[in-house]
Amino acid sequence: MARYLLRRLNLFLATALLMLGILFYATSLFPVEHSYALSGVRVPSLQQQAQIIEDYQLEQGELAQFIAYVQQRLGGNLGLSLTSQQPVANELASVLPASFELAIVAGLIALVLGIPLGVLASQSQHKLTQHCIMAITLTGYSIPVFWLGLLLSLWFGVRLGWLPISGQINLLYEIRPVSGFMLIDTLLSDSQYRWSAFKDVLLHLLLPAITLAVLPFTVVVRITRSAMMNVMNQTFIRAAEARGLKTSKIIVRHALPNALIPVLKHLGLMLGPFASYAIIVEMIFAWPGVGSWLISGIYQRDYTVIQGGILAVSLLIIFLNILIEVLHTVSNPLSRKELYAAN
Amino acid sequence: MSVLIKRLCLTTAVACMGCILVACGPQRVPSGLVYCSEGNPESFNPQLVTSGTTIDATSHQIYSRLVDYDAASGQIVPALATRWHMSKDGLSYYFTLRHDVQFHQTSRFMPSRPMTADDVLFSFNRIIDTQHPYHKISRTGYPFFQSISFAEQISSIEKISDDRLVFHLNHKDASFLSNLATDFAVILSAEYAEQLLAAGHPADLDQYAIGTGPFKLVQYVKNEYIRYRKHPDYWGEMPKIDMLVFDITSKSTVRLAKLITGDCSVSALPKAGELSVVQQHPDIMLESQPGLNVAFWAFNTQKAPFNDVRVRRALAHAIDKKNILRAVYQDTAVEATGILPPASWAYEHNADLIAYDPQKAKALLNEAGIENLSIDIWAMPVARIYNPNALKTAELIQSDLANIGVRVNIISYDWSVFSQKLSESNYDSVLIGWTADNSDPDNFFTPLLSCSSAHTQNNRARWCHPGLDAVLTQARTVTSRLERRYLYQQAEAILADQLPMVSLAHAKRMVLKRKNVTETQLMPFGGIAFGGIGHENGEAR
Repeated sequence: MARYLLRRLNLFLATALLMLGILFYATSLFPVEHSYALSGVRVPSLQQQAQIIEDYQLEQGELAQFIAYVQQRLGGNLGLSLTSQQPVANELASVLPASFELAIVAGLIALVLGIPLGVLASQSQHKLTQHCIMAITLTGYSIPVFWLGLLLSLWFGVRLGWLPISGQINLLYEIRPVSGFMLIDTLLSDSQYRWSAFKDVLLHLLLPAITLAVLPFTVVVRITRSAMMNVMNQTFIRAAEARGLKTSKIIVRHALPNALIPVLKHLGLMLGPFASYAIIVEMIFAWPGVGSWLISGIYQRDYTVIQGGILAVSLLIIFLNILIEVLHTVSNPLSRKELYAAN
Repeated sequence: MSVLIKRLCLTTAVACMGCILVACGPQRVPSGLVYCSEGNPESFNPQLVTSGTTIDATSHQIYSRLVDYDAASGQIVPALATRWHMSKDGLSYYFTLRHDVQFHQTSRFMPSRPMTADDVLFSFNRIIDTQHPYHKISRTGYPFFQSISFAEQISSIEKISDDRLVFHLNHKDASFLSNLATDFAVILSAEYAEQLLAAGHPADLDQYAIGTGPFKLVQYVKNEYIRYRKHPDYWGEMPKIDMLVFDITSKSTVRLAKLITGDCSVSALPKAGELSVVQQHPDIMLESQPGLNVAFWAFNTQKAPFNDVRVRRALAHAIDKKNILRAVYQDTAVEATGILPPASWAYEHNADLIAYDPQKAKALLNEAGIENLSIDIWAMPVARIYNPNALKTAELIQSDLANIGVRVNIISYDWSVFSQKLSESNYDSVLIGWTADNSDPDNFFTPLLSCSSAHTQNNRARWCHPGLDAVLTQARTVTSRLERRYLYQQAEAILADQLPMVSLAHAKRMVLKRKNVTETQLMPFGGIAFGGIGHENGEAR
């Protein structure tokens, strides 16, 4: 097992290094002075200029520059934002939690609703119910998220006026960021409007989270269904049935844990599209997260923000991908067995 | 099986009930007002900039001026100065200051004294004295003041006592008081400036602003919001709202959506095409007023081939203004025949000399010996009062010019980058405009087209014409309105002849607001002011 973990860690480092290499190369392609694209200092004093050259080893060879670049970036120095002249790391830290909040809630919606529905679809004897569920999920899977987001906001926001459709909170509530997660921060704040603010955050979160959840939700339903049908035909299920166990018990205790393993695997595969969907959803609902920050950085030709954003998002995806793979291996007796055999 | 389904149904039902309960509780919102603004301010000191976005966010919210301009009566009214008089020769202006005007108190600054003549001296000396420690702190200079040659105009400012001071002028100027009443001539705190200088962060003066206005700046988060609180010791009429938030929303449709869902109460710069939505929503209304503004297409007259008046004339003849008015403004604007809008007192209706005539345009281009012309048009990425959609305007011009065989390349960046790149002055032509800061007609000419403004960003045509300058100087020294009006018509005639820029339209000034917002007062010029706004707070939705 240790060897396996080490190999995964190795994979993480190698992929991350490769990505840093690409970023490093791309930085030299930006149509501005190299030191400016790296540090983001608009009008450096002589002292600052010397510091930048020292930091990024600009007078050394390519390899030394790359090593210095990796050191700086992984050391948390992402440079200054070209437009605001604030450290990119600080800006990143202020936008990351909003994205996490949205992604976690969307992921929860997808899992909490998707798994039971998948189970239901697999158990239903009705051809009609099955077809309906499959048709709905296929539709959900094929709807482009930008269209869905606009449609939902048009209907629930503009026509019906039920839900707010942009931003994270009504700005009249003054919430001091503690954890960065609005849902938590509103409850932690000592304002008398705490509960109203919490509700407001919840309402603001609803539409973006649902929009973002549609894709993973449909995938979860479909995978759960096929995995369940697979598992339910296995002999140990029949044995359980023969022993007279209740169907619900068989499903929850014996079938579902086995069926969830492929779901987990597919979640890992889905991270990439999920992240790009999140960026689009953030743009549609003016959600103040990494996505809209990155896009506005691109519009503003803010090279340090572009680098910082891409670095953060891709490192995160690589890390989560590998984490899910490890979880998959740990939870899957079959692959565990293979590992031991390999050892 | 059935048990499972039952349980599922139960869980779903409970979850739904929870959601409904959460959604339906009474929604309590702190007292305040959210304004959906269109962009990030570049600075928090209006002295340093001319962009309307920055003026909106700062001038009437954070600061006060010596004198104010009353839009209704057209008179200069007291603000921080209670009284003033001019010496007989017209070269000295004496001001008496209001007592007990308090500066904002924030976590960064604790004022030890009320406003005095020292603060006024600091605010203006910073602009006119190149040796002043704060003069060079501004990287953008002082564009408005440079464009009206403020530093050359004033010989000295003298403090008589704590509450009295005098401005000594080098020459008579009929627009001097009007210029002091503009949104740019704000009063800063000298004490705060000293503290910052001692602490070594002088640039903070323009970022973490301290003023004497109705609201104090609490927090600014780029791309997201600016938060203000009521200034409890405000010298004027106390604002009715405790908090003011500028929700920075660059997309016009999103601003409209936020207004509909109640996330903001007032929304800036609606696009003309969105006005029909207002009729569908009974709780939203449009407030509009003929504006003192002009949208124009300026040629870089220092660059070939635009230094040739025939080329400029040809391009002017080639565009169909009526079409632009229809498509971009949807008839919420009037066609411009000169620079001055109909709302100005110096305006006189002239027949448009530059009619739409592609044949003539072609002939003029041939005459100038220009073939295969390809030009860049820079189009603002943001909506402004004078032009709600510059990109669309550029596209219309593009298709018009294609008819006379001129290729057009449209260039646009995000606003901060756009204005930065524009200041490098190597553009061919730019679609931009001007919103007056006061009702004096000089405000349309001197900041935009005089020789002294040719070095500042305001003069987008980079235009310098001695004849025009002479007329403008003369118009400033005489005080009779009739005479001045005649002179400004002369100036218009020179511009119509030389065409450094093509005026397109004078737009109406519009904001959308929810019905529960009362007593907004939209002025035909200058930035938006929230000091007097009322808001019947209650249910947010």
